[in-house]
Amino acid sequence: MTTSEPTTTAGKPPVVSERVVTTRAARANAHIGKHAQTIAIGVVLVLLLIFFAFSADRFATTGNLLNLLRQISPTLIVAIAMTFVISTSGIDLSVGSTVALTGSLLAIVLQHGWDPTLALVAILALGALIGFINGWFSSYQNIPPFIVTLAMLSIMRGTALRATEGYSTPIDGDLWIVQLGQGRVAGIPVPVILAVVVAAVGWITLTRTPFGRYVIGLGSNGESLRRTGVNTRKVGLAVYVLTGLAAALAGVLIATRLSSGSSNAGSGFELEVITAVVLGGTSLFGGRGSMLGTMLGALTLGVIANGLVLLHVSPFYVQIVQGAILLLAIFANSKVWARFGAVRK
Amino acid sequence: MSQAPVLDLRGIHKSFGPVQVLHDVAFSVYPGEVTALVGDNGAGKSTLVKCIGGIYPIDSGEYFFEGEKVQVGGPRDAAALGVEIVYQDLALCDNLDIVQNMFLGRERRSGLILDEATMEELAARTLDGLAVRTVTSLRQRVSSLSGGQRQTVAIAKAVLWNSKVVILDEPTAALGVAQTAQVLDLVRRLADRGLAVVLISHNMNDVFAVSDRVAALYLGRMAAQVKTSEVTHSQVVELITAGRSGELGLQNGNGATS
Repeated sequence: MTTSEPTTTAGKPPVVSERVVTTRAARANAHIGKHAQTIAIGVVLVLLLIFFAFSADRFATTGNLLNLLRQISPTLIVAIAMTFVISTSGIDLSVGSTVALTGSLLAIVLQHGWDPTLALVAILALGALIGFINGWFSSYQNIPPFIVTLAMLSIMRGTALRATEGYSTPIDGDLWIVQLGQGRVAGIPVPVILAVVVAAVGWITLTRTPFGRYVIGLGSNGESLRRTGVNTRKVGLAVYVLTGLAAALAGVLIATRLSSGSSNAGSGFELEVITAVVLGGTSLFGGRGSMLGTMLGALTLGVIANGLVLLHVSPFYVQIVQGAILLLAIFANSKVWARFGAVRK
Repeated sequence: MSQAPVLDLRGIHKSFGPVQVLHDVAFSVYPGEVTALVGDNGAGKSTLVKCIGGIYPIDSGEYFFEGEKVQVGGPRDAAALGVEIVYQDLALCDNLDIVQNMFLGRERRSGLILDEATMEELAARTLDGLAVRTVTSLRQRVSSLSGGQRQTVAIAKAVLWNSKVVILDEPTAALGVAQTAQVLDLVRRLADRGLAVVLISHNMNDVFAVSDRVAALYLGRMAAQVKTSEVTHSQVVELITAGRSGELGLQNGNGATS
């Protein structure tokens, strides 16, 4: 399509310039507001890094930091996908159960002698299918995604328990697929490399492609997007396929990392993922998403969990801290940053 | 100097279940002119517009565009013909900036990636072409704009494409005096550029200030389509409220009979 050539009509008086409503200060505030959360979470992350580097002996070692990155890789991968879902004002609570189901099934089918490549493809397809079901109910049937994915959470966890009867299933360490969780390339753990790739693709998709724009548009004003002729239901469904796929990949990484598929894997995983996304400044009400923020949010959570353990704090505190962070982040999103002129719906 | 209408609807019927909203409606829109579409609440203005825009399928009737009979099955079909609608509720996304909104759903891209530079330039040229000087930055979020500025962006979005017909659904409804004048000025300029403009309005001052023709709907029927210069203020009000005014309008006087 081409634009019409601009032709100024002669003889008409120019429009009297309307008083610019936004003052310079208001605009500056709006600009800060746009990036304030990302900046703030970056600052928090740096402060935490400094704090743990000085207080925990082994924190600032290459070995520990690489280990930390590997620990958070599954969280980061799913959080990237979750950023799309939350930007459309949706939510996917079923990712933790999907991690458990896909990890367990991977171990089971490998034990049955499936080819690892085939098993990997099948597991990823299963994740996408789970996401498709979530998306179909939420987007095409307009059932609140909170309920749809909560039901799916129960179904998936139950299926995982039924399939494994509650036992862990070992994965043969000689299969190549184990390298996904345990391998290293040039000293960097494979999950970290995968997470970086997923993050880069996610960032480009959200900020530089029409799909990313539709995701933000859908969360901001879905009706307006629909009237421009975009199939908003398809967009709404696609984001859940992304989280399903990402959760299946995370399930594979976790199972191969531990050489075992467990139906108890990924409990509380959804909370961790959502916390990372919200901490990064993505609005739970949709229309606003920050991939960089999500990455920083996931890193922050990883640093806190890792640092507390190195400080010999009881690991049970980690959950308490995580929940508190989620609450504070939502509070900050809706009450504090709004003062900088950033719009919250 | 009567030209051929660019958009010509004949015998349009539209029902929602048992409720017949449009009865045998004819509606013509001419290039270079502003056609005011008036009518009371529930007269069928919005429904007619949505039928034109392909949001609602018509039950029966003929849709001519530039003399050709066409089928409009959805918003994309209407957009492909060059029919753009600016909705009453300002169909803009608050969290996106001006350029993003103007290209929403029809982004320019190079490969898979959005071509921001081209889109920004085209947006700037369109706004310049409309002599819009009220927005300071094209990268401002729409949420930070005033009502008049938003309406301007919504209208600019509609003319960005090779549009031939632009339909404005109550563009001045939520605006103050100065902003209304500004938007009406913009409406006039669109017509002067050769576009066919349909202006839906409840405000008689706006209608008489800017329109060339008036089409009055009464209870789902087209009461009259007349030149604005040939009718008076009170005649239009009678057409809206009673469906007739002297020789003009529906002669049986009751649009509800079928």
